[in-house]
Amino acid sequence: MRTLVMAAVLTVVGLWGTPASGQAPYYAGKTIEIIVPTAVGGPSDILNRSLAPFLEKHIAGNPTVRIRNIPGGGTVLGSNWFAVNAKPDGLTLLASPVGSKIAYMVENPAVRYDFRKFKLVAISGSGAVFYVSSRTGIRQAADLVRAQGLVMGSPSPPGNVLTALLAFELLGANPRVVFGFEGVGPARLAFERGELNLDFQATIVYVTQVLPLVREGKATPLMTLGYIDERGQIVRDPAVPDLPTVYEVYQQLHGRKPDGLLRWKAFRATVAAAWVYGRGLWLPEGTPPEPLRALHQAIDRMNQDRDFQEQARRLLEGYALIRGDLVESQVHRGLGVTLDVRKFIRDLMFQKYGQAI
Amino acid sequence: MLEAALTALGIFTDPGRLALLFAGVAAGLIVGVLPGMGGIVAVSLILPYIYKLDAMAAAAVLTGALAVVHTSDTITSVLIGAPGSAAAATSVIEGHALAKQGQAARALAAAFLSSLVGGLIGALGLTLAIPIARPLVLALGSPELFMLTALGVSYAGSLLGKEARKGLLAGLLGILLGMVGPSPAAAQVRFDFGRLYLMDGIPLVVVALGIFGIAEVIALLARGGAIASATGVGVGWLQGIRDVLQHRWLVLRGALIGVWAGILPALGATAGTWMAYGHVVAASRDRSRFGKGDIRGIIAPEAANNAVAAGDLIPTLLFWVPGSASAALLVGALLRYGILPGPRIVTEHLPLIYVIIWSYAIANVLGAGTCFAVSPALARITYVPFVRLAAPVLIAIALGAYQTTQDMGDLVALFLLGLLGWMMSKSGWPRAPLLIGFVLAGPMERYFVITTNLYGFAWLARPGVVIIGAILVAPFVWGLWSSIRRRRAAEPAAQAPPRRMPLDLALSLAVLAIFAGALGMIRGFVPGARLMPLVAATPGLVLAAVQVVRVLQGRSTMGDEEPPSQADRRAGLFGFAVLAGFFTLLWLAGFHPAAAAFMLVFLLGPARMRPGPALLFTAATIATITGLGALLGVHWPPGLVGRWL
Repeated sequence: MRTLVMAAVLTVVGLWGTPASGQAPYYAGKTIEIIVPTAVGGPSDILNRSLAPFLEKHIAGNPTVRIRNIPGGGTVLGSNWFAVNAKPDGLTLLASPVGSKIAYMVENPAVRYDFRKFKLVAISGSGAVFYVSSRTGIRQAADLVRAQGLVMGSPSPPGNVLTALLAFELLGANPRVVFGFEGVGPARLAFERGELNLDFQATIVYVTQVLPLVREGKATPLMTLGYIDERGQIVRDPAVPDLPTVYEVYQQLHGRKPDGLLRWKAFRATVAAAWVYGRGLWLPEGTPPEPLRALHQAIDRMNQDRDFQEQARRLLEGYALIRGDLVESQVHRGLGVTLDVRKFIRDLMFQKYGQAI
Repeated sequence: MLEAALTALGIFTDPGRLALLFAGVAAGLIVGVLPGMGGIVAVSLILPYIYKLDAMAAAAVLTGALAVVHTSDTITSVLIGAPGSAAAATSVIEGHALAKQGQAARALAAAFLSSLVGGLIGALGLTLAIPIARPLVLALGSPELFMLTALGVSYAGSLLGKEARKGLLAGLLGILLGMVGPSPAAAQVRFDFGRLYLMDGIPLVVVALGIFGIAEVIALLARGGAIASATGVGVGWLQGIRDVLQHRWLVLRGALIGVWAGILPALGATAGTWMAYGHVVAASRDRSRFGKGDIRGIIAPEAANNAVAAGDLIPTLLFWVPGSASAALLVGALLRYGILPGPRIVTEHLPLIYVIIWSYAIANVLGAGTCFAVSPALARITYVPFVRLAAPVLIAIALGAYQTTQDMGDLVALFLLGLLGWMMSKSGWPRAPLLIGFVLAGPMERYFVITTNLYGFAWLARPGVVIIGAILVAPFVWGLWSSIRRRRAAEPAAQAPPRRMPLDLALSLAVLAIFAGALGMIRGFVPGARLMPLVAATPGLVLAAVQVVRVLQGRSTMGDEEPPSQADRRAGLFGFAVLAGFFTLLWLAGFHPAAAAFMLVFLLGPARMRPGPALLFTAATIATITGLGALLGVHWPPGLVGRWL
């Protein structure tokens, strides 16, 4: 008993007595908790669980990194929990899946968190590919506009399929959209069964699941959402560079660039929030520079780690894990859309598709 | 293929890998026993540690854990009546009833053996299915998936009990509870009362723990004495094994239902288990023992729930459409090794697939063996005065429920559902239809909406739909036919003397109010969100009104059971009052002070222990829960006080 008490006392002293700087790193002996506002097993959860060992390895002081899932309210409950409870000590991080950003962007009344006050630790994203069943006879993206009888599936609320719907609106395509699928996975199964003939999937899913269908002549790829480079320009998706972007397809159809159009602004805003900057890790407002610096350095070290580079190809679907401070202002800006864009998105979703977001 | 299978088996000759598989099995077994904790907890527990292993070893340890969760979750279900996981609730109905009759050993033996065989059939099914898996998964379209969910709901029809009205009401109430949360296809969050907690629906684990776990514990407490009212632990083992041998085809049928439920994207483990249970009741001639401890009602679902996890791996590995959260985590782990699910996995990673299958089979043998070995000791729990066990069990249930969203809403829902479950069981309302309705309402509505949107009315003529429709309707036609024949032959039954049943009256009025309130709220929904809740609430309202009248006439009965005495009712309500006190304390003071205080008061008060032993028991329990919780990464309710500090 006595030794136990001694051990406890020593641990407490050891934890509290750590000097703020100098000898021991800030995170030595500490535990970081990453709040994931979705249920276990979702894409955001799996990504953060996979990143955790690399964070443990590369954060100076090798803290323990734990994942805590707080699902509910369609990502809002956990994100709100973070806004209310996380202390600015660098020990509680928030993962931001797509849903939490879209809810923020369209100012869902339940939202109590403000990304533009949070500090960005790291961010990564993905692109997505549109493809059709070869039986539709469609050969290229521009044919989407005139095609009849196109049917696509979507979960409800549409989540990041929202971006696809905004792309159709921009181009002037009018496929029928059937809502109610549990997710994009079951919708893809329905595509393979021939119940749907138009689909939209994240790049990694396209490469691993759909490309075999393309080779068998069952599916035809059309276009990508595009990717945003460090200067904020829309460029071809680095993972699928041979496919045109929605931006290019618009120009092919209309002979001019869409910049300045409300439809384009809405589309581009969701490409940034839901895809290119789709998965962020955040610290609360007022976090002192020391933990933030430690985490940023860890991201740099991770990106130089051979083992991580090898795994990042799969975990991050071939896209970069970007250190937060490099793109923070761009991400913040992207999340704050103007009133007219917000209204456009909401009205479109409600009036045309009967969906609230 | 055979060669690849044998090569894969070769990796287990390495004692290190075999030890890892053991470790996975141990984790799965422990998590399975804990109330409300299932495969997700087991896998997330292991994930941080596998990162230094190679792909084969990682697959072995994870599969090992996933394979046995549904073997050991039976232990808690049978012995204490608190489902070890949501899918184990069927074993509460039949297995716990047997435990109360002193036949816990028989129930457990039958369950473990069925689990084992079900798991092995699952592994075999997985092996055979892999070459033809793609067409298999793609064979059924949305209309057929809808029909299968409808078939599952129709099975609830054979579980209605003596008074069909009460069973129907329970099923409709379950559907209505399943409607809480987002509508699958329209811009409507239903019945959320403005609470964020309800926006994603009521968690299944909380429903299973409340309706069965809390209700059973309180009922046992109110009754007093030990769980088993008869004596003789040791005799049942051989009987349980003989039962399984006698019903061997039932094991096969249960396992096949499980494999299918795993393969299809719409159903999942809990639904698969309940479908196996519903199937065995529907297909049995003599149904009189179901609900009171029929061994067949253990065998089929136990075979099914171990087979589901095997079937689940097919969409997970070949399509990257995981059928469960734990399967999704398995994929996440494989991604680290560059193993991507999809059509190419069979050609590129065949050895790994066989490692998974072998791990699955070996784990099932190890898991069932371990359970057999430890259960004689555990079964003795049913002879301990239950009042001493109740506090730790209630603490574990509360903690298990709290893990789902870590919101006080989990505990509020647990309490209310527990009260509902207790009132139902004390008023002769069967609880199985409620859970079936709850589990299948969502997928049924989802696939109905998708089907009608994609096909209009044309889907009704699809051959698959017609076949499933015939299977669905046949038992009802048969039942109608035989009841007409019986009515001609049978004498008019003697009218039971009218009784006053205040609990039944309270429950009936509450259910009437729920359906009426729901109908009022439905009027404000957008059109696409109305149909399914209307389908549940309209007949619900009518039946509930009839039920209230029946109770007032004194013509609502408990079947052949005795209605609870006044003392029994009072003791139960007192139990809920104590529970409410405990949950309030959890909310105020946080887990450790609340659990310690609750347990001490409980042991000194109702359990009449002396202060010394009571203190020691409390300290030991809290220490065990804390240690185990730290190992599992459990979240403790912090309490208001904890937040202020």
